[in-house]
Amino acid sequence: MSAAPRAPLWPGIVAAALVTAFAVAFMWAENEWEVVGVLAAALVAVLVARRTGWLAPAARAFEMREPAMNRVTIVALLVFIAFFHDDHFPLLMVGTVLVYFTVCLGLTIQFGYSGVMNFAAAAFLGTGCYTAAVLSAHTSLPHLLVLAAGGAVAALVGSILILPVLRTRGHYAAVVTIAFGLLFRTFLEVNDTLGGPQGLKLPSMKLLGMTFNDNFSVAGIEFSFYMHYVLTALALAVLAFAVTRRLERSWIGVSLDAIRLDETASACFGIHIARWKIVAFTLGNFMAGAAGALYALMLGFIAPTNFTFGDSLVMVSIILLGGIGNAWGAALAAAIVVVLPEKLQLIQEYRFLLYAAMVIVVLLYRPEGLLPRPLRNYLPGWRPR
Amino acid sequence: MDAGLLAQFVANGLMLGMMYALVAVGFTLFFGVLDVIQFSHGDVLTVGAFTGYSTYLGLELLGADNPWLQVAAVIVVACGAMALLGALIAKYLVLPLKSAPPLNILLVTLMLGTVLRESVRLFYPDGANPKRFPRLLPTDAVALGSFNLRLDSVLLFLGGLAVIIAIHVLINRTKLGLAIRAVAQDEETARTMGINFTLVVLVTFGIGSAAAAFAGVMNGLYYNEINFGMGLWLGVIGFSAAIVGGLGNIYGAILGGFLFAALQTVGAVALPFASAYKDVFAFAVVIAIMAWRPTGLIAERTSERV
Amino acid sequence: MSAPVLALSGLTRHFGGLVALDALDMRVERGQIVGLIGPNGSGKTTSFNVLTGIYAASAGRAEFLGRDITNLRAQAVYEAGIARTFQRSRLCLPLSIFDNIMVGNHRRLEHGLWFNLFSRRAFARQFETAFEDARELVRVFDAPLAGRMFDAVGALPMIDRRRIEICRALISRPQLLLLDEPSAGMTEEETRELMDDILEIRGRIAGLSIVIIEHEMGVIERITDRCVVLNFGRKIAEGAYREVAADRQVQEAYLGVE
Repeated sequence: MSAAPRAPLWPGIVAAALVTAFAVAFMWAENEWEVVGVLAAALVAVLVARRTGWLAPAARAFEMREPAMNRVTIVALLVFIAFFHDDHFPLLMVGTVLVYFTVCLGLTIQFGYSGVMNFAAAAFLGTGCYTAAVLSAHTSLPHLLVLAAGGAVAALVGSILILPVLRTRGHYAAVVTIAFGLLFRTFLEVNDTLGGPQGLKLPSMKLLGMTFNDNFSVAGIEFSFYMHYVLTALALAVLAFAVTRRLERSWIGVSLDAIRLDETASACFGIHIARWKIVAFTLGNFMAGAAGALYALMLGFIAPTNFTFGDSLVMVSIILLGGIGNAWGAALAAAIVVVLPEKLQLIQEYRFLLYAAMVIVVLLYRPEGLLPRPLRNYLPGWRPR
Repeated sequence: MDAGLLAQFVANGLMLGMMYALVAVGFTLFFGVLDVIQFSHGDVLTVGAFTGYSTYLGLELLGADNPWLQVAAVIVVACGAMALLGALIAKYLVLPLKSAPPLNILLVTLMLGTVLRESVRLFYPDGANPKRFPRLLPTDAVALGSFNLRLDSVLLFLGGLAVIIAIHVLINRTKLGLAIRAVAQDEETARTMGINFTLVVLVTFGIGSAAAAFAGVMNGLYYNEINFGMGLWLGVIGFSAAIVGGLGNIYGAILGGFLFAALQTVGAVALPFASAYKDVFAFAVVIAIMAWRPTGLIAERTSERV
Repeated sequence: MSAPVLALSGLTRHFGGLVALDALDMRVERGQIVGLIGPNGSGKTTSFNVLTGIYAASAGRAEFLGRDITNLRAQAVYEAGIARTFQRSRLCLPLSIFDNIMVGNHRRLEHGLWFNLFSRRAFARQFETAFEDARELVRVFDAPLAGRMFDAVGALPMIDRRRIEICRALISRPQLLLLDEPSAGMTEEETRELMDDILEIRGRIAGLSIVIIEHEMGVIERITDRCVVLNFGRKIAEGAYREVAADRQVQEAYLGVE
C-alpha cells in the first residue's frame, strides 16, 4: 500500500473528549442560567477552535480514520453514561436521543441519499411503538423479535405509500407522506382497539433473562433500570449507523446519490430507479419501526400525542440542521434537538416554532447544514498508489 | 336515503369543493409561474381566517355592527393582508431559492407553514382553542322538502364562484394575466419581452394567497369556527386536488377540488358509521389517486429538456 | 456483408402533432464512426433519446447486434452495450470524478446488498480494480485530471466535465458510444485534443462503434467515416463528409434556399 501519512487520530479524540465533557456539564446543569452558560461556553469553544485551526484536523480524523473514531465515540458515550449511572432522567434522555438518531439515520437514507421525501417519520416510529405494545401485551414473542417485528410492520405500512413515492416528481411523495403523518394520530385516536387517546401500556422489556424495568447493581454500584434500555438503544443505533455508513460507502450509495441527482441519466446507465427507491424507503422505515418498538418498551406507555405531524417535521429538521446526508451531523443535531427543550423548559412549548424557524434560516443561508456531507470515502484510510 | 338528507350532503359537498378549489387554484398558480410548491399555502389560509376574525373583533369594538359592513371589511382586510403576506413570502423566501434544488423550496415553505401555524397557536390570544366565528350572513333558509337551503350557503358559494371567475377573467382577459401566462410558459422569453418577472411572481403569489384568505373566511362563516390547524388539512387536499388537475392548469385545479369533495361526500354517504373516519377516508382517497393517476389525466407541465 | 452493429429502420417519433423523427433509416458498421449532423431541431438528439429508451418510438425498429431493442427501457439498452453522453452536461456535480464514472460502470459492478454491506474485502478488491480502470481512462484524456479522481466535479471547468462524461460512457466498455455534441463550449485547440483522445480510445477498445452529433464540421470531416444528415426529422443525405457537404439539399437545409 502507499506510504502517505495517515490523518492523526488524536485531534478527533480530543474533540470527542471535549464534547463529552460539555455534554456532562449540560446534563448536570440544574437551573436555566447554568444551562445557558454551558451552551454559551460550548459555542465559544467551537468558534475558538475554528479560528485557531483546530476544527479541521478533528474533522479529518473523523473522515479518514472512521473505524477508529467510531470506537472512540462509543467509548465517549459509555463514559457519559457512566457519569449518570444511577440517574433516571439523563439516561432516559440518552435513550431518547439514540432512538431519534436511529430514526434519523433512516431518514438520511431516504432523504439524504436517495432523495425520497418522508414527512411521516414519527408515524413510522409510532407504528413500531404500537406493534411492540400489542405484541408484548398479547403474545409472548421474545422481545428481541418484537423489535424486529416493529421494524417489519413499519416497513409493511410504508409499502402502502410506495406507489406515489416512486413517482419522479418529489411532491407526490411529499404530499402522501404529509397526509399519512397527519392522519396517523387521528386514526389512533378514533380507534379504541389501539387504546384511543389514552394510549397503551407496555410491560417491561426482557432480554437475556434480565427484566429491564428493575434497577440493578454490579459490584456495589447502583444502576438505574434505564441503563438496560440505553445499552440496547446504543447497540441498535450502532447497528443502524454501521448499515447506513456501509451503504453510503458502496456502489449502492453511488446509485442512490445518482438517483437523487439525476434520474434520467441514472436510467441511461442501468440503474433501476424504482428498485433502489423501494429499498431506501423500506429500509429507512424499518429502522424507524425497530427504534419505535424499543422506545415504547423503554417508556412503558405510549399515546397518539407522541406521534404528530409536528414530530415528523422535527425529525426532518434534525437531518437538515445537522447536515443533510451526514450521519454524524444527524447525531449531533438529534442530541441538541431532543435534549434542549428538556433542559430549557421555556422553549419546550415553542420547540416546533423554533426548529422550523431555524431550518428556514439554514436553508436560506447554509443549506448544507451544520456538518456538510463530505465526499464519498469508500475505504477510509485508503490511498491510491 | 331521504332526498332532503341527500340534498344536504350535496350542498355540503359543493361548499367543500369550492373551498378546495380556491386553495388548489393557489397551488396551481404558484407552480405554473415558478415551478414551485408553496407548502405554507394552507397555513396562509389559516392566518387569513384569523385576520378576518380579528377584523370582526376590531369592528365590534368600534361599534360598527352592521353585518354587511362587517362581512365586506372582513373579506377585504383578510384578502388584502394575505395578498401582502403571499408577496412577502415570494420575495424573501421563494425567489432567493430559485436556483437551489426544488426540494429546498418545498422544505422552506413547509417549515414556514409550521411557523405560521405555531405563531397563531402561541401568540394569538388563546390561540390553541377554536374560535367562534360570527354568523355575519343572513341565516334565513328556504325549505325544499326536508332540506333547508340556507341563504348564507348560497351567498358563500356564489362568492367563491365570483372569486374563481374573477381569477379566470384576470388570467385570460387582462394584460397582467397575459404576463402571468407568458412567465408560466417560459421565463427567459418573458423577460426578454420586457415583462417584469419579479413583479409578476409577487402578484401571482398575492392573488393565490388572497384566494386562500377568501377560502379561510368562507370556512369560518360556513362552519362558524376557526382553529389554528384548519389550514393544514385543507392545504394537503388542495394540493392533491391541484396535482390531480395537473399542476399549472387552473381548470384542472378547480375540477380536482370538486372531485375530492365529491369523493369525500360519497364516502360520507356510503359509510355512515365512519364520521370519525372521514379524514382517514379522505386520506385514503389522496393515496389512491396519487398512486393511480398516471401523468396523463391532465398532464403536468414538465420543463425538462433531455 | 457482416451484420451491422446498429440498424435503424423507419424509426419515428411524434410529439403530439410534431414529427420530431421521421422514418429514420441508419446503419452503423462495426468499428465505424458515423456523424449525425443537421440544423438545430432536426431530430438528432431525439434519435438518441428514442434509441436509448428515454422516449418510446412511435413507429419503426432499432436493431443492435442483431437484437431488436426497439422500445426497451433505458436500463436494458445500457445493459445491451450502448452508452451515451448528453447535450446538456448531466453529471452529478456534488459527487467526485470517480463517483461519476462509477455511475457509468453499473454493468460491471456488483450491486447486491450482501456484497456491498458485508463482503468488505471483496468489495475493496473490486473497488481497486475499478479505480485503476477509471484512472487509466481519465489519463488518456487529461493526465493531471487523473490525479484528482476524488475531487468534486462541480469545481471543474466545462471541458473537464465533458471529458469526465465521456469517460463515464466508456468505462463499461460499450459496443456503441453515442456522443451528443461533445465539443460544445470548447476552443478549437481543446476540440482537436478531444478528438485525438476519442480516436485513441477507439483504438484501444476493440470494435467500438461511435455515432457523434456535432456542429463542428471540422470534427466531422476529420474523424467520421460516414455522415447522416437530418432535416426536420428526416434523413436528407448520407455518405462520406465530402459528398454530403457538396449536396445541394444539405446546403439549403443549413443556409436556407437562395
